[in-house]
Amino acid sequence: MATESIKYLAPDTENKAKTQVFPRPGQHTTGLIDWLTTIDHKKIGLMYGMTALFFLIVGGLEALLIRSQLWDHNMDVLTNRQYNQMFTMHGTTMVFLVIMPLSAAFFNYLMPLQIGARDVAFPRMNALSLWCFISGGLILNLSWFFTGGSPAIGWFGYAPLTDTRFAEVVGDMGPDFWIFSLQILGVASLLASFNFITTIINMRAPGMTMMRLPVFTWMTLIVSFLIILAFPAITIALVELMFDRTYGTNFYDFLEGGKPHLWQHLFWIFGHPEVYILILPAMGIVSEVIPVFSRKPLFGYGLIVFSGAIIGFMGFAVWSHHMFTTGMGVVATSAFAMLTMLIAIPTGIKIFNWIGTMWGGRIRFDTPMLFALGFITMFMIGGFTGIMHSSVPIDAQHQDSYFVVAHFHYVLIGGALFGLFCGFYFWLPKMTGRMLNEKLGKFVFTLMFLGFNLTFFPMHYLGMIGQPRRTHTYNEGHGFETWNQIATVGAFILGVGIVIGIYQFVSAFFNKKLKPAGNNPWDARTLEWALSSPVKEYNFARTPIIKAKDQAWENNYGPRENHAEKEPLDDHGVHMPDRSWWPLVTALGLFGLAIGMLFHRNIDPSGELVRDYTVPILAGSIAIIGMIMWALEGPGGYHLFPKENDE
Amino acid sequence: MISLFAKYSVFRNLFSGLFLLLAGSCSRIDHKQSALDPKGLVSQNQYDVFMLSVWITIFLFCTVGGCLLYVLWRYRAKNEEEAKEIPPQSHGSSMVETGLIIASSIILVILAVPTLQGIVLLNRVPDANDSESLEKLGLDRSQIDGAITVNVTGKRFFWVFEYPQFGIVTANELVFPATKAVRINLRTEDVIHSFWVPKLAGKMDLMPGQENFMWFIADQKKIIGESDAATSMPAVHDGTMRSKVFAKQKFTDEFEPVGGLFYGQCAEFCGNSHAYMSFRALAQTDEDFDKWVKRFQNAQNPNLQTKSYDTQTSYNKNSYVSFADNKLGAGANREYRSVRKTSPGQSPQVAPGAWEKAHSDDYEKGKQLFSSLQCVQCHAVNRTGLGAKGPNLTLYGLRTSLAAGWMRNDEESLSKWLKNSNEIKFGNLMWNGEGIDDRHPLRNLQDDDEKVNQLIAYLLGQS
Repeated sequence: MATESIKYLAPDTENKAKTQVFPRPGQHTTGLIDWLTTIDHKKIGLMYGMTALFFLIVGGLEALLIRSQLWDHNMDVLTNRQYNQMFTMHGTTMVFLVIMPLSAAFFNYLMPLQIGARDVAFPRMNALSLWCFISGGLILNLSWFFTGGSPAIGWFGYAPLTDTRFAEVVGDMGPDFWIFSLQILGVASLLASFNFITTIINMRAPGMTMMRLPVFTWMTLIVSFLIILAFPAITIALVELMFDRTYGTNFYDFLEGGKPHLWQHLFWIFGHPEVYILILPAMGIVSEVIPVFSRKPLFGYGLIVFSGAIIGFMGFAVWSHHMFTTGMGVVATSAFAMLTMLIAIPTGIKIFNWIGTMWGGRIRFDTPMLFALGFITMFMIGGFTGIMHSSVPIDAQHQDSYFVVAHFHYVLIGGALFGLFCGFYFWLPKMTGRMLNEKLGKFVFTLMFLGFNLTFFPMHYLGMIGQPRRTHTYNEGHGFETWNQIATVGAFILGVGIVIGIYQFVSAFFNKKLKPAGNNPWDARTLEWALSSPVKEYNFARTPIIKAKDQAWENNYGPRENHAEKEPLDDHGVHMPDRSWWPLVTALGLFGLAIGMLFHRNIDPSGELVRDYTVPILAGSIAIIGMIMWALEGPGGYHLFPKENDE
Repeated sequence: MISLFAKYSVFRNLFSGLFLLLAGSCSRIDHKQSALDPKGLVSQNQYDVFMLSVWITIFLFCTVGGCLLYVLWRYRAKNEEEAKEIPPQSHGSSMVETGLIIASSIILVILAVPTLQGIVLLNRVPDANDSESLEKLGLDRSQIDGAITVNVTGKRFFWVFEYPQFGIVTANELVFPATKAVRINLRTEDVIHSFWVPKLAGKMDLMPGQENFMWFIADQKKIIGESDAATSMPAVHDGTMRSKVFAKQKFTDEFEPVGGLFYGQCAEFCGNSHAYMSFRALAQTDEDFDKWVKRFQNAQNPNLQTKSYDTQTSYNKNSYVSFADNKLGAGANREYRSVRKTSPGQSPQVAPGAWEKAHSDDYEKGKQLFSSLQCVQCHAVNRTGLGAKGPNLTLYGLRTSLAAGWMRNDEESLSKWLKNSNEIKFGNLMWNGEGIDDRHPLRNLQDDDEKVNQLIAYLLGQS
């Protein structure tokens, strides 16, 4: 293991290659250029987080429109097509533009701090990942302004509804925007994941063995592996769909011998691990928060890590439980039902261990802890209804009813979003150096908890009395009205809670009146809390030498031999890399490539289909030139000289 | 400390609130489309497994949640000093962990066994020769032997029901015998749909390029309940069902008193009008079902259609013939019924006293319009017309609902529907289908009350 200290060679700053085009902005870059060219994992994490919070508001507004339309029977807030677009965009936005990037924000910001690294392994690749994510989000939402408007195919885009043959608006471009957006978002996720895996495997501080890693970092590692294994499936599915739509191939066109089943398998081989991609980061966060507010180490650390890995592994073996009603036959259905039930065991273990952690502790109820407790209880409900769905006879009634809507919102809001909010309340003092207002935080939790349960608990019942999901309205006389109205009221309460929460997060960066946080306001346990708040540009003035799990706690309360040591200062100081324009340029190239492909077809006056590849080729060249220049621009960089006692 | 109490009162309020929600919602569970009110063998099985899982869940939630609450209360930091104490830093206990893993596995087995049994039940009709399992299921051999088969075809946005055993085709209202097993073969001609009648059985998708199978059998005792067969399962074939349903104050009454009327819905997102793609399933006594089949067979039998008057034939009383009537327009025919036995040559023109008009003038004009407005290109009347683009309208006047189960099938709704179906069911293919634009006669009926009324007379006259 990497217990001995590693010396980084100082780059030859005198002879650094000077590129004439877009030279690397140096040490004293500020303002917009700083943010556009930054390769600092903390700034990238913040931009990830802020963009995702923006999309959370967008997706939330879409949800409120959906809820308003369902207020009463035969409402006219939205037309049926608009409603279908809303739930498609709501789902796609929340999964790909909110929960995943919010998790990525925490991965980016915290993982290097938790393992004692100065940055991720490939800082410029990290920036490219961010800009790809923003491009993907833009492309998806640009769809509103072109033929057919946004996609109305559901976030799952089941073939053959996505086939041009079944388009309900002539020349509908929505699904094309959806395809290209998801492809670029896939690039963003893959880049980030390779980066995180490399970082965690290679850049841990001396003494930070794998079994000393904070659980959140472990979940980062597992989720990154899930992403690199799951995304190829949807990438292939989307490429095939793009070929079907653009060039008339027959992958999914059943009238030409294609197989709509193929889409479902490919989509859910991605789609089910995706569920764990969404929930495991939140579990990681909660596993950090509960020990801190119980003042005890995590109960069964090894088992929590192992069960996370098992969940990740088994996540690839249960995809067909989304397809119980597609007629797979007795054998396949039974096998997937049993495997799905098994996955409840590692999930249950986590809950037992969190309770075990609190057992015998000194529990404080600060806002992060409230969100963590909210997570446990709400996730439990979502998990239990999940077990119900693993039972095929039950699923036959629940599938595509509001019961399922209730189930996955309990997992994704009560689980993932509560977990991520918990993370914000927990780590924002570290990021901003300021304590958030406790009272306001508790108010936000109360609103969210109340609003959330009001919205989604009645949906269990609505599903059982027969309200199908993805229907833009319902007829009078089914008894759906009252409970939909309660759900709508709840949704608005939840929305207000989230907006206040976001305001609180953003204002923490600017509001100078907030109490200063100090290094370790929660008396927390993991390595990042040994640093100053906010964390300095170079993270660690001197690379720490790790002696134990929960290093910050051990430094304060542990025996002397467990206290971390630091590598000695040397006279070349901390080498900082220069910023770079090329990740942004490459991402712009990819963005242009997607837009070019979207608009490369035209009908000329004689009615012929004309394909014009000028824009895609130009934009693609920009992306490739960006990558070449990236390789050629040289290391650059500058040195900082922290003082002896700087953290 | 204050915050701690604040938190607990929040929790207490929430829990009591949730309990009230739960209690309130459980007060009525027999809504039209409720899976909590099973009326068939398969849905009953699904309901039983569901309730088992509910009890397991409640048990687990109370146990784990109870532990959580106990821990939170017992180990809360009561004051600032306590919040700074350092409790023993224990790292876990493998005994506890192993025990919990074993316990959760056992609980899963409790759910796994009925799950596997349920999978077999919903995929396979029990073997009629296997008297042992029939007895277990409380079935009689004749119920399986007399099973009927229905080929269901989903189209955007309606349903075709074909009865291959009887050679008949209908749409949107599935009539079935309450005592017999019903085998459902599911196909689709466009996108994926899903067949779901919650009170009879869970759903099964209609996959393009694949034939799926499901089955159900209703429980006649449960349908009849405390009333009698005539009240709870009015006959469809003579229009009793329709008039019984219509006799209710409101078509959309929340708790439908007619037990034999089941509500179904497409459960897989299939496009703009997915929400409107519902249907009905009507349970009948064996006798009424046979009569319904007979009526349909006669209506769709090409040899029994009304023929032109033949001067060489003598007609019995109550014979139908088609004969020219210029009052309806040049070259138009009208249907006549003989009021007595006629001898050859006594055509309606020669012997008007021997014949009476079979239908009103509006009906006859509506019939002409049905052709001239091109309705007939998509809708089959009095033939099976399996390839037709639109729903089969044979014996349409017996149907209770219009627009795939969305509206009450009466003059008022039908008039709205014919004038502008896009307003009721945006994106429907009668208005938006291939080759239909603003020049199509169908799109120009808004201000033509006369034609609409004639069409209504014709359509509702199909009974």
